[in-house]
Amino acid sequence: MSVVARLLDAGLGPGRPLRALAASGQLGYGIPEPALREGLARAPHFIGCDMGSIDVGPYYLGAGRLATAEAVTRRDLRLVIHGARQVGVPLLIGTAGTAGAAPHVAQTLDLIRGIAREDGLGRLRVAVIHADADRTWLKAMAAAGRVRALGTALGSPLDAETVDRAAHVVGQMGTDAFIRALRLEPDIVLAGRACDTAIFAAVPIMLGYDPGPATHMAKIIECTSLCCAPGGRDAMLGTLHGESFELESMNPQRAATPLSVAAHSLYEQADPLAVHEPEGSVDLRAARFEPIDARRVRAGGAVWRPAARVSVKVEGAEWCGERAVLLASSCDPRVIEQREAIVAGVRRQVAEILPDAGSEACLLEFRVFGTGATGLFPGAAMGLPEPGEVFFLVECVAPTADLARATVAVAKQYLLHHGFPGRLSTGGNIAFPFTPPELPCGPAYRFSIYHLAECDDLAAAFPVELETVGGG
Amino acid sequence: MATRLVDLARVVRSKNAGPLQITFDLMFTDRAGFEQAAASPALTPREIARLYGVDPATVAVIPFAPAHAIKIVLERPVVAGSPGDSDVYGAQQHRPLLGVVL
Repeated sequence: MSVVARLLDAGLGPGRPLRALAASGQLGYGIPEPALREGLARAPHFIGCDMGSIDVGPYYLGAGRLATAEAVTRRDLRLVIHGARQVGVPLLIGTAGTAGAAPHVAQTLDLIRGIAREDGLGRLRVAVIHADADRTWLKAMAAAGRVRALGTALGSPLDAETVDRAAHVVGQMGTDAFIRALRLEPDIVLAGRACDTAIFAAVPIMLGYDPGPATHMAKIIECTSLCCAPGGRDAMLGTLHGESFELESMNPQRAATPLSVAAHSLYEQADPLAVHEPEGSVDLRAARFEPIDARRVRAGGAVWRPAARVSVKVEGAEWCGERAVLLASSCDPRVIEQREAIVAGVRRQVAEILPDAGSEACLLEFRVFGTGATGLFPGAAMGLPEPGEVFFLVECVAPTADLARATVAVAKQYLLHHGFPGRLSTGGNIAFPFTPPELPCGPAYRFSIYHLAECDDLAAAFPVELETVGGG
Repeated sequence: MATRLVDLARVVRSKNAGPLQITFDLMFTDRAGFEQAAASPALTPREIARLYGVDPATVAVIPFAPAHAIKIVLERPVVAGSPGDSDVYGAQQHRPLLGVVL
């Protein structure tokens, strides 16, 4: 009997407790093992892991690479694969390989294949859900006015050139895709780009639980014990009854309190009163949190509002050049005082020697840390004191790696020796912590698509494929 | 006597909410602190806009009583991780709030 068949056969449903174990909110950074073991001892009905996020920036989606180290990713996958087998339940993994596009899914699947083989796990059925957007479909939807920009920074309407230029384009799948994958009775569901909540809400919804509380619980446990005081990365157990659910961290040092859980509703969310999913949204205006004891909370009151039109969030990243940086510092008060004039002078000299570096296609940025360079809002009142020491991060993003490196190398030499009135530091204006102080960073990417696309056919947007791994 | 936000708040944090927005959470230990801050003229959209040098129409201030918290949402001037960004996760943009007197 497959693990999914056993789950369907367990007599679960509204009114019966369904135990969801959230093993990791970011698989690949090191799952704390004691809490995972404690979670497995509670006989969960399924195990879920989130493996990605858009928060880490556009590079990973653009370059098709994992943000996590391969060795740690393998370690974490091994822990949850063995854990799920030990208790005989499905394992659901969302946003494979950081960004959930084809290369991320392929690399994660490769790691799973390796583990199945090396550990002699026998045959494992893996249902793979692809999240790469069909560009022809996306362009047609945009042309039909059925794609809208989220915010004002990226173009609306989405134009065909932007879609074509993107290195990778993915859609965020919801519970529908996971449920289709579960119907194939896999041991593991490996999903490309997915809503964090879908990983944990799919099994309850498949079993007939109300999507409102199921999605609310999913939203809280997807970050594991981050909703606790003190917050952490330990496995979290959510027990869904129907209208209400219970939350408990699998690390006894972490307490879920009504305040800590309510506060978590704010985390990385623009709107604490609603959670938007492809198939609908959760209205949290009547949400309530009550203590069961000092470290467990009961929550309820979430209301599911089905979407009038199903829509999918689409993300794309495009290459925008090759990056090189220079790292240097200064503690000379006159250099610090004259920094703006020095930087302007160095810019002029770089443009004279490398006319291409002054072109539109080449970005050259001098960040002087200690003077507010962390600030993102140019007009913000940072309230920083005058620094006694500054750090220069000189960055160039150019059409070629050679030009980027040449630009920061020239900037380095002129920054070192730039003359200015009252200069004492004729040996050099800056210190280099090591050599070479100018470093190539490889390709640079930017998010070019972050739009909401209506979707008439979720099965076509997120196709499922069953693969059997291991078993010689 | 004037109360500073940092004297009353338990948490003052910033973080991206997606790559286009940045969100600030001001959390208070109790209901009274939350209510005092929520009623303060220093935390209106107009004052926040002045503090960050942005258009008041792009600022949202959302009190969230269940968590004794106030959420502020701003649009990012640079899309997260694009060239010219200085804080990809948006986790260090709360500094201007530390000087606020309620």
